[in-house]
Amino acid sequence: MPRYKIADVVFDAQFIYGYTERLCQKYLYQGDEAPRLLISATLDDIKAEKEKAPEYPDNYLESLAVFRKLCAYILDNADGLIFHSSAIMVDGKAYLFTAPSGTGKSTHARLWRELLGDRAVMVNDDKPIVRFVDGKFYVYGTPWNGKHGLDTNCRAEIKAVCKISQAKENSIRKATAGEMVFTVLNQTVRPENQSSMENLLGLIDKLLGSVDTYVLGCNVSKEAAELSYTTMSGERL
Amino acid sequence: MKIKDGFILSEVAGQTVVVAVGKMAKQFNGCIKLNPSSALLWKTLQKGATEEQLVETFMNEYDVQLEQAKEDVKEFVTNLEKAGFLE
Repeated sequence: MPRYKIADVVFDAQFIYGYTERLCQKYLYQGDEAPRLLISATLDDIKAEKEKAPEYPDNYLESLAVFRKLCAYILDNADGLIFHSSAIMVDGKAYLFTAPSGTGKSTHARLWRELLGDRAVMVNDDKPIVRFVDGKFYVYGTPWNGKHGLDTNCRAEIKAVCKISQAKENSIRKATAGEMVFTVLNQTVRPENQSSMENLLGLIDKLLGSVDTYVLGCNVSKEAAELSYTTMSGERL
Repeated sequence: MKIKDGFILSEVAGQTVVVAVGKMAKQFNGCIKLNPSSALLWKTLQKGATEEQLVETFMNEYDVQLEQAKEDVKEFVTNLEKAGFLE
């Protein structure tokens, strides 16, 4: 049975399809840590995913079911949540761009890579996991990495979370924690049971109290990346 | 009247928010931001109250005239009823 380590959680997994196994390959684990759980998606789990997203094939839906189970475990046992965002690491610090699908998070992260070259590492382009560990928030790469397949098996301390919208002119400002609450709640997977939901709300409260938050209106240009990078990092180019 | 089971009211980053869990989450997957006075009414309605009791609670906490309080409570209750949150 393959063993993985994702978001610093070691687990064994049993897959029906080869797709999920291939997807998770980079996260195979051969160290000494004991597995904390066994994850497998049943046919019923896959059926439940199919109801939410009937257009996808079963092997892909299995991978979603596995991800859902991993995230549910992490939320209840490891202070972590999935945060739909494009997470990029520069000089060891992570920046998370969040927005509804199709707004341009991945595009903006690409502009950062073009601007910063090798200094910028994609942690995950779609579904990273965010965890609270020893008083700090970290973002972790996961194999669920979006349509461009960008992720790194690594973690980085989060410096800032940035909400993106499309705009003609580039502008950035600090967000209040309050205006980010709905953003985060809408870009995570919400559990259905009460105690997990309370864990999630508590984590979001801590996250928004710990990291810098920004609102960015941007077009697709080098200047947009320059503005967001210099403002959020406090560094000059 | 009373707010149906399955809602959690919580303080997150200084905001009072309401989300649904359990069966209610299937019916309502949004989230609601409440200002302090609606939060007071929501909490009162979670325990169950008549419209008169809501008006009284509201007036005990806020410096408003009876007519204004009645109007605000009515509006709040109507919105909850429309959303199907009351039983």
